[in-house]
Amino acid sequence: MGQHQFEIAYVFEYFYRLLPSLKVTLLIVGSSIGLGTIVGLLVALPQLYRIPVLRRLSQLYVSFFRGTPILIQLFLFYYGVPEVLKLVYVDLTRTPALFFVILTYSLHSGAYIAEVIRGAVSAVDRGQVEAAYAVGMNGFQAFSRIVLPQALSISIPVFGNIVIGNLKDTSLAFTLGILDITGKAQTMGTLSQRFIEIYISLAALYFIISFALQKLFDRLEKRLLRHEPAAAKDSLVKISFLRKDVAASKWRRKEAQL
Amino acid sequence: MIKLSQIKKSYGRQQVLHGIDLTVGKGDVVAILGPSGSGKTTLLRCINYLERPSDGEITIDGFTVHCKRPTKADIHRLRKQSAMVFQQYNLFRHKTALENVMEGLVVVHKQPKEQARLRSAELLEKVGLGDKLDAYPSQLSGGQQQRVGIARALALGPKVILFDEPTSSLDPELVGEVLSVIRRIAKEGITMIIVTHEMSFAQDVASHVVFMDHGTIVEQGEPNEIFRAPKEERTKQFLKRFAPESAYSI
Ligand SMILES: Nc1ncnc2c1ncn2[C@@H]1O[C@H](COP(=O)(O)OP(=O)(O)O)[C@@H](O)[C@H]1O
Ligand SMILES: [Mg+2]
Repeated sequence: MGQHQFEIAYVFEYFYRLLPSLKVTLLIVGSSIGLGTIVGLLVALPQLYRIPVLRRLSQLYVSFFRGTPILIQLFLFYYGVPEVLKLVYVDLTRTPALFFVILTYSLHSGAYIAEVIRGAVSAVDRGQVEAAYAVGMNGFQAFSRIVLPQALSISIPVFGNIVIGNLKDTSLAFTLGILDITGKAQTMGTLSQRFIEIYISLAALYFIISFALQKLFDRLEKRLLRHEPAAAKDSLVKISFLRKDVAASKWRRKEAQL
Repeated sequence: MIKLSQIKKSYGRQQVLHGIDLTVGKGDVVAILGPSGSGKTTLLRCINYLERPSDGEITIDGFTVHCKRPTKADIHRLRKQSAMVFQQYNLFRHKTALENVMEGLVVVHKQPKEQARLRSAELLEKVGLGDKLDAYPSQLSGGQQQRVGIARALALGPKVILFDEPTSSLDPELVGEVLSVIRRIAKEGITMIIVTHEMSFAQDVASHVVFMDHGTIVEQGEPNEIFRAPKEERTKQFLKRFAPESAYSI
């Protein structure tokens, strides 16, 4: 580093050259949020319905993924899972690293999404469920018509934070050799030695996507919570509590990584 | 038309209802009075199975559920025969007034949407909310929300409407509008069971008054008997404490 004079023109050039790798980043984010939502639902259900043993297991799951750094989780899955599967004669040595990355990020965001689902469902007051029963609905109708739509709109902001957090977390995937935007930036940096310019364009790229996602979720929230103009504050209190919780533990995790 | 026999309910070791027997005729308006914690809410909730009685039998309009071993179909049918108006209104917050009333008609009674919409608008008109069809609960006052709750109950054409302290969460100046709506539908001959602390309302709307204490029915009878000449000591004390004005105003 340092043998080149800083030149702003390179920032634009590298920004442009990073763009193709964006699809890898977005692939990881998209598929891990998609799979993570399914995982999250599966993990939340035993807690919502208080299923005896499964409930403990899902709590354990959540604490593991929330309580350990994602970098360590990545290494554990990448190096550990093939070792374990070798014992039962399944060979994963040729499986692409991307598979392990998506696996890890899915399981990881699944833990956070489970917490969001749990919080949002319990934030819909019990009285409305009783009213639904009193009207003659069955359990499924009450859940799908009354609880779920409200839980979804309540959870949008926190869910947005998880997606953005996940986007930033994917920047660690380069440690397994993934050529996402960070991986690509590393490679280009090593070749050109223009790290400053490259990191500026990389930061800009992350920022633009985060910003766009933030706007998107804000809009979605406004649209879905249009029935709570005044009380939106109310649910926001609950949410900002959740939000802080998520933010704080992410922050702690980041600290732990340093 | 409605017959409860030996309804019992316990929460863990605590027995909350000690075998309630009650008969309600078609078109009756029954007021249930009693100190807080006496089991009034629990009794109402048992009638439409929001709470599962530990024992007893519930008959509505010739259909009997044995509470020891009810089937899912029993419970469903029982719930369809009654409707509930809650103390906290419990409106669906993501739905407009109109949608709140329509919901049961469309989802449970499988009515075509257009028909349900017309019927619901009519009912909201009737409770004085013809201009609030598209308002969300958050945009309505407590009194208005409770009137939507009443319209929602009426929509289902229930055999009986159960009211659990319908005005207790309301600001005093909003109580009147809700009571007058209830009074109006009582005149139409709909069977109702109302838990209330509004003594003068109970006195002039009810055809039958029940006084409960500690999970039993202490005394019941015509409003005049109960309010003017209660026989039981507990009823006397309660009325004195709760409605001193009615003791003197004769
Ligand atoms: N879900 C519950 N779990 C345990 N105890 C309950 C529950 N609901 C009511 N109770 C108890 O049952 C008794 C009767 O309550 P309730 O029916 O609400 O009385 P009321 O409506 O007359 O004030 C009270 O002692 C109350 O504490
Ligand atoms: Mg009560």
